[in-house]
Amino acid sequence: MPLLQLISRRLLQLIGVLAGISLVTFLLVHMAPGDPARLLAGERASAETIAAIRSQYGLDLPLWRQFLTYLANLAFGDIGLSLRFQRPVSQLIEQFMWPTLFLTGYVLCLAIPPTVVLAILGARRPGGIADQIIRLLGIAGLTIPVFWLGIMMSRFFGVSLGWFPVSGYGTGFTGHIHHLFLPALSTAIWLVPVLTQSLRAALIEKTAADFVTAARAQGATERQIFWQTMLPNALLPTLHLLGVMVAFMIGGAVIVETVYAVPGLGTLMVNALLGRDYYVVQGLTLIFAVSTVLVTLIVDLLTAVIDPRVRF
Amino acid sequence: MIFLSGSRTRAAGAVLHGSTLVAMGLCWAVPAFADDVIRVVSPYQTTTLDPMRSAAAGNIETYGQLYSRLLRRNSETGALEPGLAEKWEISPEGKSYTFHLRDAQFSDGSPITAADVAFSLDRIRSDKRSAYPAPLGAVESVTAADAKTVFITLKSAFAPFLGNAEIWNMGIVSKADVEKRGEEAAFATVPVTSGPYEVKQWKPNEKLVLQPNPHYWRKGYPNSDATVELIEITSPETRIAMLKAGEVDVVRAVPWAQIGELEAAELVDMRLEPSTTIYMTLLNHKREPFSNLKARQAASMAIDNKAIAAAITRGYAEPANTTLPGSVDFHDKDYPGIPHEPAKAKELLAESGMAGREVKILATADAPAQQTALLIQAQWQAIGLKPVIVNVDGAAWWDATGKGDYDAAANWWYNETLDPDLAVRWAVCGSCGSNSYNTFYANAKVDALVEQGAKEADQAKRAEIYKKIQKITTEEVAQIPLYYAPNAVAYSKRLQGLKLTPSLQWTLEETSIVP
Repeated sequence: MPLLQLISRRLLQLIGVLAGISLVTFLLVHMAPGDPARLLAGERASAETIAAIRSQYGLDLPLWRQFLTYLANLAFGDIGLSLRFQRPVSQLIEQFMWPTLFLTGYVLCLAIPPTVVLAILGARRPGGIADQIIRLLGIAGLTIPVFWLGIMMSRFFGVSLGWFPVSGYGTGFTGHIHHLFLPALSTAIWLVPVLTQSLRAALIEKTAADFVTAARAQGATERQIFWQTMLPNALLPTLHLLGVMVAFMIGGAVIVETVYAVPGLGTLMVNALLGRDYYVVQGLTLIFAVSTVLVTLIVDLLTAVIDPRVRF
Repeated sequence: MIFLSGSRTRAAGAVLHGSTLVAMGLCWAVPAFADDVIRVVSPYQTTTLDPMRSAAAGNIETYGQLYSRLLRRNSETGALEPGLAEKWEISPEGKSYTFHLRDAQFSDGSPITAADVAFSLDRIRSDKRSAYPAPLGAVESVTAADAKTVFITLKSAFAPFLGNAEIWNMGIVSKADVEKRGEEAAFATVPVTSGPYEVKQWKPNEKLVLQPNPHYWRKGYPNSDATVELIEITSPETRIAMLKAGEVDVVRAVPWAQIGELEAAELVDMRLEPSTTIYMTLLNHKREPFSNLKARQAASMAIDNKAIAAAITRGYAEPANTTLPGSVDFHDKDYPGIPHEPAKAKELLAESGMAGREVKILATADAPAQQTALLIQAQWQAIGLKPVIVNVDGAAWWDATGKGDYDAAANWWYNETLDPDLAVRWAVCGSCGSNSYNTFYANAKVDALVEQGAKEADQAKRAEIYKKIQKITTEEVAQIPLYYAPNAVAYSKRLQGLKLTPSLQWTLEETSIVP
């Protein structure tokens, strides 16, 4: 049962990753200057008030004791209470998770079809006119800063033309689709060139591969060779790249979420960091770690489906 | 991990429907928002609904919507008027106050009694976690004489007491509810309120949704039955785009650079509203170079605050002339301020022996803070100091200033009432627990004047006292005053009667929506 082995190996790895990450994040957030109690109570609060709040939340205990308490709670699946809002961190993450996941899915929908089409067009005649234009556009897409593009698109399509909302998540499925269109497009404009370049290079490399020549010699048509031999082989590196990008988007959609005021994990993370909301920051890093491991696992499983030679 | 697998189905759904719906989305007109929501966006967050627990900007604005106080301010004139207290008597020597409560109810329909008032004020006064007990610092005791009468005894006569009883953290909460649900739970989601609104839904870090409190004591208010959304948006670009796209009605903290553009916008009423905000630079009196009076005077003379105000606020703010906000009572408008004399500053600095010293300027990330730090750096360099800008976030800023680990730090503060008592206690008093706003400035004479000003009942004499305080602290450069900024707020023209008062309270209950 190689599949089960893979999954169980990954889960074991996950435990190690989580333990390491919780220690590092814990130390980083606690050692950064700044006091959540001060931010909570505001500037006018006296030193005694701050001390009282710190002791209420156990922030006055030695670091190692705070860490042990945190670990003990973690072992029972409790990732703690938000210092700022006095709500369970898991509840906050649940609230902010959907917009981010929806956005990630949306970006994939917008990015994958053009990637495949553009890469094939480019690879068909490397150096041809189509290829040159695609590469030029790709460079443009890559070099435009996401925040600038975001602001410009929201001004043009949102404010001037009024086609799309410039903020928020909307209600209902169609509402989400409508509200997240500009954020997803801004991200896709940057993602498509990255993926296209990778897929195009792999396709070109595979045109000269031995197994393509062999297939041709066996009398396969060019169409069969492309769809059954070249494309599946060329997809693998891009799929791995895509996995990395998806994990990155789940954890790092900060800029797009800020520009378009999407109430997602990126916004939550930024505000939790600024507010020194320790347990929210720690909880989010754990979730990001878990999602990265899961995404890589899924990519590996897909790889096995596409390329049966892959053994774990 | 159930939620993660759920999301995959959603993502898969998105894949299937994505392309068709994108096409649909393109042809959608943005639905004009329903008439019954007033949306306000601000960079300042609501982090707690307990009026005792925080003095941070976002919470201050929220408290006024949820909790009524003994007195209120007229939204037009700013004058104190009866709130939950219908009338009151003050004993001749000014030490005891008797408040008579009106028949009013909490949002759950239970009556607001003297016991609730005593409970609420006592929490603010003596709970260890109370964020701002200073306004009640003069109070000796608060007792409920009967269901509708509250006695408050002061330690000594205290002129600004009535004004202090109106400040944002003086909201009356339900004793019964706090005791029943516990202090954390009572304010965690939907608190029992005494103000014009109650909480419909709180999504921390995103928005607070309010709906009119059906039991509010001011009959006929809120004027409109609209729900109110207080939305938190960090990016100023996004706030402005939302207003222009018609997604929100009010934008708080409009950047100076955007004001001109919004003034020209047809559906927007761009207003510069009076505030008690002062922008200034803290100086650390605890260590060299600014523990030296001549070095401080040199540093202040080097700074052209008229040019700074013009450059940063594009002329929308007045240059500051004293250490106190320009619109508080007894502000000395005639005081000439610190002259801009770079040549004399250079001489003074040389005399002080601090020339060539390194100066650590703290700056946060927002545009005005960065600009101010740069301008100050250039002007100090010109007189022979070696200023270095250290970029920090808000949390690290408070940490460093609190510990005195800085030399200069530009920031702003505002006074919650027009009376200057709390302002001087906060900004220039060495014995009031604020370390003179983390500058560690301490002058026994000023401290004595602060106490004297609070006890003095005669207005002319009080004016004299505060004039003296301003003169001494400005001459000794307790801080370097920069400019008096108005509150820049943009409103949709469909709203009437809404403003942000100088004490940072929205007059939402008096707002109506133009059909």
